[in-house]
Amino acid sequence: MLRINCPYCGEREHSEFTYGEDATRTTPDNDAPMEQWNTFVYERINPAGEHLEYWHHAFGCRAWLKVQRNTLTHDISWVGLPHENPQVQS
Amino acid sequence: MSGFRHGQGRLGDATLHFSFDGKPMLGRAGDTVASALLANGVEVVGRSFKYHRPRGVTSSGPEETGALVTIGAGGKADPNARATMEPLTQGLEVFSQNCFPSPKFDLMSINGLAGAVLPGSLFSAGFYYKTFMWPAALWYKFYEPSIRAAAGMGTPPKVADPDIYDRIQSFCDLAVVGGGCAGLAAALSAAQSGLRVVMFDEHNDLGGQLLNEVNNQANADLEQWRVNTIAALYAAGNVKVLTRTVCWGRFDGNTLAAHQSVDGKVRQNYHKVQAKKIIIAAGAIERPLVFGNNDKPNVMLASGARRMLNHYGIATGKMLAVFTNNDSAYQTAFDYIDAGIKVSALVDSRQYPSQELLDGCASRGISVHTQAVVTQAKGWQAVRSIEIADLAANGERVSNRRRVECDVLAHSGGWTPQVQMASHGGKPPIYDKKIAAFIVDDQAPDTYSVGAAEGENGLLVCVAQGVEAAKAACALLGKEAGPVALPPQERAGATNIVPLWSVPAKGKQWVDIQHDVTAADVVQSHQEGFVSVEHLKRYTTLGMANDQGRTSNVNALAIMAKCRGISIAQAGTTRFRAPIAPVSMGGFGGREVGQYFKPVRRTPMQEWHENAGAVFVQAGMYMRPQYYPQAGETIDDAYERETAHVRQKVGICDVTSLGKIEIVGPDAAEFLDRVYINMFSTLKVGKARYGVMLREDGIVYDDGTTSRFADDRFFMTTTTAKAGPVMAYLERCLEIDWPELKVRVSSVSERWGAMAVAGPNARATLTAAFPSVDFSNEAFPFMGVVHAEHNGAKMVLLRISFSGEMAFEVYAESEHATDIWQTIIDAGKAYDIVPYGLETLGALRIEKGHVTGAELDGRVTLGDVHMDGMASKKKWFVGKNLKDREGMVHPDRPQLVGLKSVDPRTPISTGSILVNDANASAGADKQGWVSSMTYSPELGSFIALGFLRGGKERIGQRIYAAYPVKGITVEVEVVSNHFVDPTNERVKG
Ligand SMILES: [Zn+2]
Repeated sequence: MLRINCPYCGEREHSEFTYGEDATRTTPDNDAPMEQWNTFVYERINPAGEHLEYWHHAFGCRAWLKVQRNTLTHDISWVGLPHENPQVQS
Repeated sequence: MSGFRHGQGRLGDATLHFSFDGKPMLGRAGDTVASALLANGVEVVGRSFKYHRPRGVTSSGPEETGALVTIGAGGKADPNARATMEPLTQGLEVFSQNCFPSPKFDLMSINGLAGAVLPGSLFSAGFYYKTFMWPAALWYKFYEPSIRAAAGMGTPPKVADPDIYDRIQSFCDLAVVGGGCAGLAAALSAAQSGLRVVMFDEHNDLGGQLLNEVNNQANADLEQWRVNTIAALYAAGNVKVLTRTVCWGRFDGNTLAAHQSVDGKVRQNYHKVQAKKIIIAAGAIERPLVFGNNDKPNVMLASGARRMLNHYGIATGKMLAVFTNNDSAYQTAFDYIDAGIKVSALVDSRQYPSQELLDGCASRGISVHTQAVVTQAKGWQAVRSIEIADLAANGERVSNRRRVECDVLAHSGGWTPQVQMASHGGKPPIYDKKIAAFIVDDQAPDTYSVGAAEGENGLLVCVAQGVEAAKAACALLGKEAGPVALPPQERAGATNIVPLWSVPAKGKQWVDIQHDVTAADVVQSHQEGFVSVEHLKRYTTLGMANDQGRTSNVNALAIMAKCRGISIAQAGTTRFRAPIAPVSMGGFGGREVGQYFKPVRRTPMQEWHENAGAVFVQAGMYMRPQYYPQAGETIDDAYERETAHVRQKVGICDVTSLGKIEIVGPDAAEFLDRVYINMFSTLKVGKARYGVMLREDGIVYDDGTTSRFADDRFFMTTTTAKAGPVMAYLERCLEIDWPELKVRVSSVSERWGAMAVAGPNARATLTAAFPSVDFSNEAFPFMGVVHAEHNGAKMVLLRISFSGEMAFEVYAESEHATDIWQTIIDAGKAYDIVPYGLETLGALRIEKGHVTGAELDGRVTLGDVHMDGMASKKKWFVGKNLKDREGMVHPDRPQLVGLKSVDPRTPISTGSILVNDANASAGADKQGWVSSMTYSPELGSFIALGFLRGGKERIGQRIYAAYPVKGITVEVEVVSNHFVDPTNERVKG
């Protein structure tokens, strides 16, 4: 059971949330070539380790959140708003 | 009969009545079903899974392999219960399993004889796989029926479970798994820190292996330590002690799952406990030795026989023999003889047991056979003697066979730490030569494995480890754990093991007693090339019974490693999966069963529909009227009548389940332009427009109607099925993709009741119902939107149609929706209005050729449903970039067509495959599929919508709709999907 610390609601069980998608992709420009859109829609990196994802607090405040989750351990190390990013460890 | 009540143990005096296979018996408060059966002299408790061999009680704990019984009758029946784990209660009904007519005389036990005579018996290793490869005819005629009749365990009850189960979610600072000496010490130490502690133990009585110790004057100090420690835990306000609670899984984020059996109104609680730290003190279980007929009733694990005597006051026989490869079983022999039971032999496979043990035997007059083994247990149904022999120094041969009298054989093959919970954390079990078993090195910062679960021996060290772990865990949580008094005496554990993995002699040697897997099966699977642990388990089905291989795993791995000529450490083991013990489905369901399985949504007009005699159907989350039958009508009669009536007169249908979303803000029009393929910024206030959304990959996502209430205010409807997903999608677009847009979206699905009024008399009906609204074509044209009020109820009226008839949708505030509905019904009486249900709604839209979820199934493109012309070329929208890829616009794609039965009264099954040839075989070139069908009163024929390769060019052709499962093939004509009103004359009239 994962727990996600929603910036609006506080720490809640993951069953209140639904997984959205990979949050590391950059949307191409509207007039970008089809190949670029194809890459955007179909190709994923699928990293083993820290990963940024969008989650929807569907059964809570309904905010979309950005979540840093370790795909190996499922540890959630950071939660923010969609346009925030975790501080890079130096 | 062999077992009998011999003393008090730790039980009280209260007598309990129970029955076994209908025969009345007596037990005592504190008994388990197993101890009570032994007290009544029952030896054969049931029959085995495959061979129907007689089986009896083999232990006193969760490692039970023999005594699987059904507890209770009717809906309360609980099959495959381990008799050793079931507390005896007053009036309990216990039933044997897998035997006919009785456990003592079972007709199916012929399987066992066949196995002994034939080279490959019915159920030898890999029988599932081999049997499937044999001629199919044999499978149906012989194997399947005989396997069904022969194999299996208890029978699941055929009636609903009347009991209540609960789910409990809780939090704690420290969870302690296991209430043996290490767990008790850990919990009591941590309790003094003031932190919240939860302790689980699957037994009724706490103490773990301390319960194996004799409860007499000489041992009073030790028993007092156990009792005092438990009392202190219960007295501490911050410790929750859960007994009869099997903690069966550990999950992400230090979550533990446990099933608790309780007495009272609720039968079981399913606990989900979120713990900051976990101490795993799950203990160890004894494993059997592998020798001939080691499954025979009255062959028991030594620790089990000992606990029966010392805790339950049951002598398991009148004459005990002991067979061991380590020290721990000696104590069983000592306790039995000290209690006045004869001990005929102690057979030790080791050459040099310690002098202390030998002295202990000598002083008690026990005859010890060292460097010796039991080759087989003998007796017709239960043990009446054993054959023993000397073991050659290389361990490969036996000699000097002789017979020893006994009626119970206690054996010990060593101890297996219960590493399952530790293993769930992800670390692999590692073989430890010193104890000849696997352990998991799972220490800190979140979990601590301690005591016997970590391979430790001896009471004092286990207690010390528990306290140490509690101190470390509490310190990490910023608190200080307290001291715990040490037990007054040391108790040796399982030490000095010299592994003996199997006895080198002929005979049926069982490795997995529960699942009837023998040492020979393990060797055979190796010979047939199954060399990995995973393959061995699949091929032999070893470890797949309800004990999950607890007792069999290590022995099987050792035998396999020997075959391969590698060490056990090299062979490795599989990881453990939850649940580690059998748990009831009831607990998972909790109270969300039957009508509470999921919430049911009802529209505001539900009561009206009920009064009108509607038949309901669940559509999405909603209960919706399917049809309104009149006297004597079938469903087909009703919907055909309703459909014809709407086309001739007028009908009203509840469409509340549509998703409704309000979109507000200065950029609302721009937002809609991006999510819909067609233009909404050009939509005039007071008008509605049909819109289609694509996914990013260009596939059609959803459709619906969106109206413009004001410059900055739109009202969107979605399909019933996509109401939730579309809302989440719009939120995502605004928050993630386009945060610059000033738009708010809110779901108003529950705000509005909705009804469709359709048919030639629709305008007249509504004019009569709401005289203040001008329904003329000029004032209220097709796709017009009007706001109105009726008796204080706000309404939105839309002139839209999905039926091919003139139609309006009326949205009324939910609390007034039934009044509005009734107003329309009353006014419509003069125009012969009828209510219509979901069947007719479907029939009308199929006749009109309008697509819904059955067509928009996540595979179709705009071109497939003839909507490519709708896509705006003047703007960007989601899906635009990829919708025109080569494969998405290929002319040979399956495209939406209408299909009409050539014989009008022959139905076309939904899901049929479209083929060119009436006699097409299974491998024929499939041309498409049928997505929805109905009878069309208008056309006097069965019609359907479907997708056909290159369908746009194939109008007029005759093809076939085949439904091979039912052997049906129907000749159909390909037609336009617009069966009715293709030019929109009626809807605009
Ligand atoms: Zn939230």
